Amino acid sequence: MTIFYLLLGTFFGFVLSRSGAADYDFIQGMFLFQRFQLYGIIGTAVALTAPGLWLLKRYGQTLGGKPLDVAPKPRHRGNLLGGVLFGIGWSLAGMCPGPILVNIGEGKLYAFAALAGALTGAGVFGAIYPRLQRPFKLPAIAIGTGQG
Amino acid sequence: MHLILHDLPVLHWAWAGAAIAAVTLVLLFVANRRLGVSTGFEEICSYVLHQPYFRRDIVRTGREWRLPFLAGLALGGFVSAIAGGGWAATWDLGMLDKALGLAPIGKIAWMFGAGLFIGFGTRLAGGCTSGHGIFGLSNLEWPSLVSTIAFMGGGILTTQLLYRVVFHLGTAP
Repeated sequence: MTIFYLLLGTFFGFVLSRSGAADYDFIQGMFLFQRFQLYGIIGTAVALTAPGLWLLKRYGQTLGGKPLDVAPKPRHRGNLLGGVLFGIGWSLAGMCPGPILVNIGEGKLYAFAALAGALTGAGVFGAIYPRLQRPFKLPAIAIGTGQG
Repeated sequence: MHLILHDLPVLHWAWAGAAIAAVTLVLLFVANRRLGVSTGFEEICSYVLHQPYFRRDIVRTGREWRLPFLAGLALGGFVSAIAGGGWAATWDLGMLDKALGLAPIGKIAWMFGAGLFIGFGTRLAGGCTSGHGIFGLSNLEWPSLVSTIAFMGGGILTTQLLYRVVFHLGTAP
């Protein structure tokens, strides 16, 4: 299965690379309302994934016959503030998490610094999770804020 | 408008969106996994950090599939560069070069700071563009709608402020 994940990730990375989703100028163009490209990509992806998910959930199982696992993510105060913080970072870097890795592959050297920052940010978050739990009403540590 | 990468033309947004939908659905149907990239950051951290948060069962099971997937993302960028005219290391940062003209050390500092927001923010929010914006919205999950509005809002405000106000401070009459 490792090869399956690697190949699917490679295809995803190629698409992100060639669509503008991993391009600083296209990200700024989206946030400046000057380029439709990224809105079109995200909108199309959701418009096609939503009915596909609905059909898969009706079918109820995976290709291998296992029950489909689509448990929703927990709801908490971090959804809002974390989202705002991430948005600021997305604007500054011109990359969201997937494109950080895509840009590293493309040879954009500054993306290594973005990755180092993201790992540090996630590391600090995990280390102080117990202290953030109460103010942000975060779920128990075994559950976490949500996988994704 | 073309990409920074070799000045290549972009894929049509409809094809790119359809391809991302296909990746999301194949990942779920074949492997029973929710698309999501940002959790990979804490899974990488779990190899060197040992607080209780990084020793959770979902971290151990998640990193077995997500880290190969993340390696694939980098490989996809590499293949894209090779196929599009050859791989070359670059510091090219498009519009930001025109606005600020940072030296490489400045870009490292800028990107590290941005990365802190991305890493901390996505983990606090419980997802990023893929986990909340694509999968969560498609699955009609309320927290994903809240987070998506929040990160689009945060991004729009920051870019508008930078490119319509801050970068013009020196040139305005």
